[in-house]
Amino acid sequence: MRVIIFTWEFPPRITGQLAHYVNRLAAELVKKNVDVYVVTYNNSWTGFHQGADGIKAYRISDKVQQHINVLTWMLSLNQEAERVAADIYYSMKHELDLIDVHDWHFVPAAVTLKRALKVPFVFSIDSIEPHRSRNSGAPLSSSIRSMESLGMDEARRIIVKSEWMKQELKRHYNTSDKMIEVVSPDAKSWIDEILAGYRKGLEVPAN
Amino acid sequence: MLSWEFPPRTVGGIAAHLFNLSRELVKLGVDTHIVTCDFPGAPESEVVNGAHILRVDSYKTPSPDFATWDSLMNVNMQKETAALISSLSGQVDIIHAHDWLVANAALGLKHVFRIPMAATIHSTEVGRRNGLHTDYERMIHQTENWLAHESWRVVCCSQYMSGQVRWAYGLPEDRVKIIPNGVDVNVYEEFDRAEFRKRFALPEEKIVLFVGRLVYEKGVQTLISAVPKILSRVNAKFVVVGDGGMRDSLMRQVANMRLAHRIVFTGFLDEDSLRKLYQVADVCVVPSLYEPFGITALEAMAAKTPLVASNTGGLSEIVEHDNTGTKVFPGSADSVAWGVTRVLLDPGYANWIKLNAYQKALKVYDWAKIAKQTKEFYEQILREYDRGSWKPT
Repeated sequence: MRVIIFTWEFPPRITGQLAHYVNRLAAELVKKNVDVYVVTYNNSWTGFHQGADGIKAYRISDKVQQHINVLTWMLSLNQEAERVAADIYYSMKHELDLIDVHDWHFVPAAVTLKRALKVPFVFSIDSIEPHRSRNSGAPLSSSIRSMESLGMDEARRIIVKSEWMKQELKRHYNTSDKMIEVVSPDAKSWIDEILAGYRKGLEVPAN
Repeated sequence: MLSWEFPPRTVGGIAAHLFNLSRELVKLGVDTHIVTCDFPGAPESEVVNGAHILRVDSYKTPSPDFATWDSLMNVNMQKETAALISSLSGQVDIIHAHDWLVANAALGLKHVFRIPMAATIHSTEVGRRNGLHTDYERMIHQTENWLAHESWRVVCCSQYMSGQVRWAYGLPEDRVKIIPNGVDVNVYEEFDRAEFRKRFALPEEKIVLFVGRLVYEKGVQTLISAVPKILSRVNAKFVVVGDGGMRDSLMRQVANMRLAHRIVFTGFLDEDSLRKLYQVADVCVVPSLYEPFGITALEAMAAKTPLVASNTGGLSEIVEHDNTGTKVFPGSADSVAWGVTRVLLDPGYANWIKLNAYQKALKVYDWAKIAKQTKEFYEQILREYDRGSWKPT
């Protein structure tokens, strides 16, 4: 199986716990013989890099340096994520099975790649906007929510880390039960459950 | 083609540009699809003059500001266009973007499908703002820069714009292609001129026409300053069509000069009245200080209205002095007064420049010819694309 992971943080760029989580995830997937590409952001350390752990990382940079908010920044960065994902796709002779998007940042790229190249994606959720900006009705916050909604609508599967988050998704986004996989990072069978989630993501929905 | 506006959604000049260009491209056998923003009452998809129009959800939830809205709109535009290109199963040869407003969508689609992308840059942020003063303006400038560099080649409408694009983005000359804007001469039909004229002027008054946004760079203040000098020699009425931030200050200027009875501010005018107004005007003045192209000059030429225009930007390429119009110094009221009086007092001269201008509109600015140049431009890109290694195998 060949998978691209989209994440806005990955070591050495660490802004929160997501960087550590994705690093561990990618390393474990490599051990399970998954061909893993991580597409991430780093404005100073850019390009392709393959580590001793077998993780292939593509770091993309800002083509537009000046921004007025996190959305204009992320939405222009998405084009670079698409460029790099397409480069992987074409160099691998179209053999790319799945994209795993972590949080909302690269949802638009995943949606376009799904429509254009028929590569499905799973949406892994670490945190959601209603928790980060509690009760905010500000346009910026609602725009970020709309990117999260888009991801949930278009993903083949949604992977969350706890039963609580599953309930929160249902509460805030009306997400359907059967779309959500709860996989605890502490579980012994964690990586196998992630792979099971990926496999469900590969299944073409019945309807 | 990607554009944020297409009729009936008309914000600036790109809508009309695409409407005319797509019609003529279709006649040349180019299968043309336009993806644009939705508009109340306009169907989601339709065929207009043979071109397929797809209107996407333009993101109507509140967004913080215009540029952020545009980024969010581009998410939808890219998503829907990706589905459209997939449904046409690889039959799309070129993605043609119009201005930075669709840059995100066009850039991503180029890479995802590996289809060559070309952009028309109708105007630049640094030109519109006369510099870059805020993060907002710098962001747009850098987006234009990115779009320009990712384009196989950039289309500009004049030598002047080509120079500006090369200067602003450091683009090599062979990456810029000049294809002018066009004008449709057939929309100016015969009608009862005397009756229509009454709405604006007395029969013995000449009509001096200005059309444009009421902003500093269009130079309407120069024309108003020239009015007393013109009136000292000719009996005339000045008709100012358009609206903009300077309207109040201009109207104060007119009142202070005791000229309110001589200058009519019409505000925005519908297309039909505007066309008629061109035809009844005795002279059309384009006193711009900055002008990437000068579409109003073309409209005057097509309507057979004698033209007085500033020697600046794209305008100076459209108008040849004493041949297709009278050129004046930008920002000089004396020069504008001289030019206008000359045209109004010498009917033979006025006739000479207006007929030459009309011929030029037919020969150079005919949309059919512009579409032909555009098609050849596409074909050249495809030849280069076929030779390269970027094309997927």
